[in-house]
Amino acid sequence: MLMLAGIVVVHIATIIMLLVATMDSAWWVTETESTDLWYRWKFSDSAWHYTNVDNYQDAVEYFQTVQATSVLACIFAILALCVFVAQLFTLPKGHRFAFTGFLQLIACLCIMTAASIYTNTLHTNDSNGWYGHSYILAWVSFVLSLILTITYLVLRKKNE
Amino acid sequence: MLTFLALASVLLLGIVPERSQAIVIYTGWERHGLVGSDIRLSCSFFSWRWTSEDVTFSWTYRPDGSRDSISIFHYTGGVPYVDNKGPFRDRLEFVGNPGRRDGSILIKNLDFSDNGTFTCDAKNPPDIVGRPSSVRVLVFETVPIQAGVITGAIIGVVLGLLVLIVVIYYLMRFLVARRVFSLSVSKHGKKKKEGPQQRQLWTPPPLTCYPLP
Repeated sequence: MLMLAGIVVVHIATIIMLLVATMDSAWWVTETESTDLWYRWKFSDSAWHYTNVDNYQDAVEYFQTVQATSVLACIFAILALCVFVAQLFTLPKGHRFAFTGFLQLIACLCIMTAASIYTNTLHTNDSNGWYGHSYILAWVSFVLSLILTITYLVLRKKNE
Repeated sequence: MLTFLALASVLLLGIVPERSQAIVIYTGWERHGLVGSDIRLSCSFFSWRWTSEDVTFSWTYRPDGSRDSISIFHYTGGVPYVDNKGPFRDRLEFVGNPGRRDGSILIKNLDFSDNGTFTCDAKNPPDIVGRPSSVRVLVFETVPIQAGVITGAIIGVVLGLLVLIVVIYYLMRFLVARRVFSLSVSKHGKKKKEGPQQRQLWTPPPLTCYPLP
């Protein structure tokens, strides 16, 4: 029972982290701006202003791929939780949670793709700034979802 | 009773042509343009009447932050009159087709001072009651990247593939189960027959699961 609760808690934490990483525009932060993936916050005249992202002209496709894969990671993580709860009731005894593990694996791969593409193609020569909390959460949720994938693929339903 | 109905219908038919119905004008909501490029502002209308020869289109411009509008284009009596004194002189061109209810204009060589609201007002006599429609023009130095076509395409394709895989999986299971019941004796059939039976004997699960040692 405790293990079940633990797994569900970790899964929900992963979903929350993925959602924050996707929705919060804080992948790259400098003194005066907090940017990516959807909008940019610029600090001027002692107030934060909400503007568009408009300077990755040579990496538009990569940027939009990061957007798409991070959204997909959120969707698949939430789907995996729903399928896990459903499989708790419908899976025959002794079987593995294969479908849940499969969905969670796709979520893990998606967020890994997003974070990797972002690291490799954007802000590579930019020394004026640092990675923000959304970026860090993206990598942490990758690790957690990897652990969850392995857990689901190894876990078997209790055979009594 | 019948005579009353007849009189009422004649009266109504008599009144309706005297009233002009509302005309609905369509422009965009917002248009983005790069500095130095051309932008086409479309304007069309819907009217219950045929397009009359006295149809008029007029465009007015209100800069961002200003409360006054200035008239920049007027089409009437089959002749378009473009701005020749105001901020758009030599930059405005009429590219619409009034016969097709299109009163679009083309603004060439956009500048940051062109940020503002453009309002199109069309009249199709006797249909003159209507609300003018406005389009906001935003001029950028570089085009902003928002969630674009590639984003939507990737998300759509992956989700579609997932739905396809799930559907095919359940379809295969369903088809294999049906083949079992039509086959009389076969090892493959016997193995599969046990599968569904096991499920029928299966009872709702306990809410615990531990990994096997």
